[in-house]
Amino acid sequence: MTSTSIDTARARPAAGTLARVRTTRLQAIGEPNLWALGGALAFGCVMVVGFLLLVLWNGVTTFWPRPVVVVTTTDGARLAGEPFRSEVYRPGPEVLATLDEATRRRIAAAGGLAGRDLYRTGNFDVYSEDFRWVSDYAVASTAMPSGLMFVERLEWGPFIGTIRGVTVDGRAMPELKDDPRALAAAHDVARARWRQIRHIERDLIGDVNHELEAERLNVRRVALRYGDGTPEHVAALARFAERETALQADYARLAADAQGLKETDGHTQITLAEIGGAEKTINLSAVVRMYPANDLGVAQKLGVYLSRWGEFVSDEPREANTEGGVLPAIFGTFVMTLLLVVVVAPFGVVTALYLREYARQGRLVSIVRISVNNLAGVPSIVYGVFGLGFFAYVLGGGIDSLFFPERLPNPTFGTGGILWAALTLALLTVPVVIVATEEALAAVPRSMREGSLACGASKWQTIRRIVLPRAMPGIMTGVILAMARGAGEVAPLMLVGVVKLAPDLPLDGYFPYFHLERSFMHLGFHIFDVGFQSRNSEAGKPMVFVTTLLLIGLVFAMNISAVVIRNRLKRKFAGSQF
Amino acid sequence: MLRNRTVLAAALAMAVGAPAAAQTLDPALKDYKQISGVSGSIKSIGSDTLNNLMTLWAEGFSRMYPNVKIEIEGKGSSTAPPALVAGTAQFGPMSRPMKGAEIDAFEKKYGYKPSAIRGAVDALAVFVHKDNPIRCLSLPQIDAIFSKTRKGGATKDAATWGDVGLTGEWAAKPISLYGRNSASGTYGYFKEVALFNGDYKDSVKEQPGSSTVVQGVASDKFAMGYSGIGYATADVRAVPLSTKTGEPCAPATSEAAYAGDYPLARYLYIYVNVNPNQPLDPARAEFIRYVYSKQGQQAVIKDGYFPVTQAIADEDLKAKKLM
Repeated sequence: MTSTSIDTARARPAAGTLARVRTTRLQAIGEPNLWALGGALAFGCVMVVGFLLLVLWNGVTTFWPRPVVVVTTTDGARLAGEPFRSEVYRPGPEVLATLDEATRRRIAAAGGLAGRDLYRTGNFDVYSEDFRWVSDYAVASTAMPSGLMFVERLEWGPFIGTIRGVTVDGRAMPELKDDPRALAAAHDVARARWRQIRHIERDLIGDVNHELEAERLNVRRVALRYGDGTPEHVAALARFAERETALQADYARLAADAQGLKETDGHTQITLAEIGGAEKTINLSAVVRMYPANDLGVAQKLGVYLSRWGEFVSDEPREANTEGGVLPAIFGTFVMTLLLVVVVAPFGVVTALYLREYARQGRLVSIVRISVNNLAGVPSIVYGVFGLGFFAYVLGGGIDSLFFPERLPNPTFGTGGILWAALTLALLTVPVVIVATEEALAAVPRSMREGSLACGASKWQTIRRIVLPRAMPGIMTGVILAMARGAGEVAPLMLVGVVKLAPDLPLDGYFPYFHLERSFMHLGFHIFDVGFQSRNSEAGKPMVFVTTLLLIGLVFAMNISAVVIRNRLKRKFAGSQF
Repeated sequence: MLRNRTVLAAALAMAVGAPAAAQTLDPALKDYKQISGVSGSIKSIGSDTLNNLMTLWAEGFSRMYPNVKIEIEGKGSSTAPPALVAGTAQFGPMSRPMKGAEIDAFEKKYGYKPSAIRGAVDALAVFVHKDNPIRCLSLPQIDAIFSKTRKGGATKDAATWGDVGLTGEWAAKPISLYGRNSASGTYGYFKEVALFNGDYKDSVKEQPGSSTVVQGVASDKFAMGYSGIGYATADVRAVPLSTKTGEPCAPATSEAAYAGDYPLARYLYIYVNVNPNQPLDPARAEFIRYVYSKQGQQAVIKDGYFPVTQAIADEDLKAKKLM
């Protein structure tokens, strides 16, 4: 019907120069639908792009050093801080009552509204607050004096103030105060010493402790196998005592080294004074970075900016995750996603192969297929509960009592860990892979299979040599989708192994190098933790955006590399087609 | 619960006079001294209120003992007892004392009671928006605001800000309520003390974390919510509270908490599985000692809570045979 009316519409112009009159309803041509479809697409694009821009803008600007403003209030008090945000509000009558007549009149003239700014004042150890609101009417003057330092410390958050004095190796060196380059050099020396202390404490003493723990577990294992007081146990105890003495001696030596360095470190200090004059003396090595906030050129600002990013992606978190970096979380997310792919890809593909190629298509297969599709719709937290109950408690508990009885009652696999998290997410994403693989297999032309079979290949040979390679790009697409979903999932992970603070990466230098039982940190959970669990939610907000940016970046990078691999495969098989 | 409060006040008063300001430590607290041969792994599961504090302690402790592995999970106080019973955690931080049933479950498995150490003092704060002019609230008023049963003796339900004495634009505005979820110890403590064991109103928006309560109040001008004082930000204000209507209100400061004037002052506990017949393993024993050291209590201040005194430390350390 539609085609005939269009034909007549097309024939019409031949009738003369009359204005074109549409006889077909717009509905029939589909024009309004076209607009609706296009509009929907545009709306979707705007939403996605807007979201990305929001995250990008907030994430990218967070680390840019801001100026420090000194505000003198009308009552003579002074405060120094980074302006954080401002808002307009309506002061209540009880606030207005405390103000003088002129201010009241000014506020009334502005429609009863007044502005106020939130300043990040830092110096939490001095003020016991680190943010403060200042109303515009209470401000006598603002200034951005030079010489004000923004000092990021290992503890207590930032300090905003001036340098009063510097002591290097026990000698007061007041000249360093005005010589940023020499101060930076002294700071580098102190930081290098701090890193050395950390290396001794973490790596070298860590080795000793690790060995000691291994020996202790060994004795316990012997005791469990042969019984307490048996000759084997006595021999093991003797061996342990011997090893322990040697290791304790190592430990004492290393601890003395570290202690010596710490003492030296304590002689290099910096004295800072906040705007009100209160002084604070800290070790120079406890300063992460400092800069004169109002005297920076663009290049120096860029330097601070990059150095902050560098710390963020390569360091460990400090101060209950509110400062420092997120390296363990990046690593945890990455390793978990890789594990997830390693598990989900073969499982999904094998299942789909059987369903599509071998199973007799009937009621049973339909039921299985419907079940698989339904699995994709189950809320992810349900998988978390299953993962905790089945993987961690049942499977992990079993593994523990079979293989790690010497560590009980401390669970090894019997609690959340990166392996269980990856398996849980694999379960969650396997429907995606199955469905995509089935589609890809179905899309391989029947003629190719028949050709192969006609040449005398067996069914398995046909699948392996002909079907699978051609289906590979489609399968890869499924795996990529599964990976993207898995990397961004947080809810089930909270039950099966993600923790706020996991000091150890799942991969390290101790045998067996890859510790699948360990809990781990995850960028998604880190976002939740920093934004909604940290003491100071105000300071946490910008970090939420930075971490989100990083998570999106990580997922993007993994997806891109998977797409590149898929395209390689495609090209490889494109050449060998008939 | 009143009894608990008096105990807290008495114990704190026993110390060398209550500390002068919020930010000072009891000078009697000792510096932490490292010992050798401490290693192992510690897992802590429990309170969300104590989550950051445990993390700060863990960070400080692993600076002393680089090879003690500490993992921290904080989803609510009610998750601590099951984890201790199952042995999945060695420490169970809780923002309320364990209930009888929880202690029984533990005792049934191990044959002895779990030990509690009191790591910090918290003034459970009732937060309002920073522009809110309210000056003082009594516990019966709080009860009338948050509870539908009003066991505190208030005769009338308080649904609007006018019901608790505000005028002008506030008078007609309903109070928007924020609270914690039921797994939280803060929820339990608030219910017991401020609601006199009554029931919460259905309109209380239950939040998964203490910080979310504060963020909720910060973004809602007519809101009221409760959470640990450590989560206070510049956008909210803790309302001074009194026990009975008409009494002078005490602010949520350390002085008022120590003196017992602030009605919602409480200890924050860490529960540990200590077999009374065996010495505690070095990692856990040292962690407890660290909590009670000058460094440990400094971390308490850093997290916004109030430090305990040496007197409390002595009492708990003796009970654990660590002194």
